[in-house]
Amino acid sequence: MLILEAQNLQKTYRSRRQVFTAVADVSLKLAAGEVLAFLGPNGAGKTTTIKMIAGLILPDSGWVMVAGRNPHQDVRALRAIGAVLEGNRNLYWRLTPIENLEYFGVLRGLSRRVAQQHSRDLIERFELGDKRQTLVQNLSRGMQQKLAIAVALMHDPQLLLLDEPTLGLDVEATESVKRLIREIAAEGRAILLTTHQLDIAEELSNRVAVINQGEIVVEEPTAELIRQFSDSAYLIQLEQPLDTLRASKITALGATVELQQITIRDPEILYSALEILRPLPIVTMGRQQANLTDIFLSFVRKP
Amino acid sequence: MLSLFLAEFKRSFVQLRRYSSELIGGVVGTTIIFYGLFLSTQYIAGPGFQFGTRLDSIIVGYVLWALMLFIMGDIAGGLQQESRTGTLEQLFLSPYSASTVFLLRAIASLILNLTINLGILLLIMALTGSRLAFPPTLLPPLLAVLLGAYGIAFAMGALALTLKQVQQVLSVFQFGLIFLFTVPVESWTGSARFLGWLLPMAPGAGLLRGVMAQGAALDWGILAVALLNGAVYFLAGVALFGWAERRMKRLGKLGGY
Repeated sequence: MLILEAQNLQKTYRSRRQVFTAVADVSLKLAAGEVLAFLGPNGAGKTTTIKMIAGLILPDSGWVMVAGRNPHQDVRALRAIGAVLEGNRNLYWRLTPIENLEYFGVLRGLSRRVAQQHSRDLIERFELGDKRQTLVQNLSRGMQQKLAIAVALMHDPQLLLLDEPTLGLDVEATESVKRLIREIAAEGRAILLTTHQLDIAEELSNRVAVINQGEIVVEEPTAELIRQFSDSAYLIQLEQPLDTLRASKITALGATVELQQITIRDPEILYSALEILRPLPIVTMGRQQANLTDIFLSFVRKP
Repeated sequence: MLSLFLAEFKRSFVQLRRYSSELIGGVVGTTIIFYGLFLSTQYIAGPGFQFGTRLDSIIVGYVLWALMLFIMGDIAGGLQQESRTGTLEQLFLSPYSASTVFLLRAIASLILNLTINLGILLLIMALTGSRLAFPPTLLPPLLAVLLGAYGIAFAMGALALTLKQVQQVLSVFQFGLIFLFTVPVESWTGSARFLGWLLPMAPGAGLLRGVMAQGAALDWGILAVALLNGAVYFLAGVALFGWAERRMKRLGKLGGY
């Protein structure tokens, strides 16, 4: 089921004779249970796009539909949107986690009773139980971020917008937020996620969209994109540099040798090469795999 | 709507109770400033001088001014603080309109603000020996003043939303407000009298001074003017706030950066 559909979004800012196109042409689709990693360098238009989707910035042209409703025309669309914007600054610092959850639940349209029930459930689920009476300003950054995500889920939205959800978190908190994002998507919610940590995007997303200078330059399923950019070469890493005799034999097969690393582009010769190497100790052996960082850079560095 | 009102009330109350030192500071500070002014005026006038109902009138004006500052701090100051802490955009994601949220928020904290300002009033009365009356007829002009006060606070909220940094404007504006609450528009005559009716909150404040300080009966004609004045400023303030919200959504600057 399609939860988010954004078509030809465009936004230009004008100030004192300066014209700046933040978003030139962005179209996105997101289905239930899907995680879309929305990547791009600083100033590429990620945040403007997310805010146009949330109804916080009015697009100059194009339209947004969330669960079949336009957030710029129909406030009921907002019931389907949860958002954690700009890091962890989405909470009242002078209130406790439970007070924040209850307040924002009612603000997003829940009755008091339902808000209380949801807060209790989310506090348990997000493992904030022993901090329920601690003021938000005294929580760790990781806890604050978990609470901000919990707050965004209070009204049970179908679409969750997460702007840099792991920024500034330590390793443990990052793992915990990653686990939560996977769980939330598994419940059937659509998640649009921006991040500069490409390894996290690679781990969490089903699909990747890269935006550069206000335009989407590529949008593909994550695995497909990585496959396209990976070639069929094998890399063998030895413990010690290869001796001259074996090196010349392997080179004769068509592989390349650089000290203790052997690159085999033709899979047909793999086993012949391994025969030559026997019984030398092998440290690692595997297919050469592109990662999202290489792919991302290849798109944003294009002239 | 009732749920949101109760949630706003709880939010205001919890924060006020948790940071009661700020509250006590506000009450004591506001009282001391007035007492300082009172002592210096007494010094200039000489020890034998009797202020009479004029002192009472000034006290009413001063406390209304303090109330206005609390209300403005709630709406315009609150808005600015929320744009700094990042909660502002979350308010605009609510299915309730932003004006509704801020209005309910303001009404929720009104009960607290009225209590605080009654405290300030009683303290000032105790310090200066003023004797003010509290007849039930003070309620309609108080309503007129509050309507105007909320209108002005929403207008300043619109300014806060547009400019983000309005601390300096607010400080200067506060002194302009003293004028509105202390100027004796009820004694003006001729065309100045009409001008007095147009000033925000001034006719209501004049009635309150009459009722509370001079023991006058309520002039229903002026009350109608005061209520109309309050309603116009209130609606204009809310409309201006809605306009600022739409403008900021168009300019992409709702959050504040």
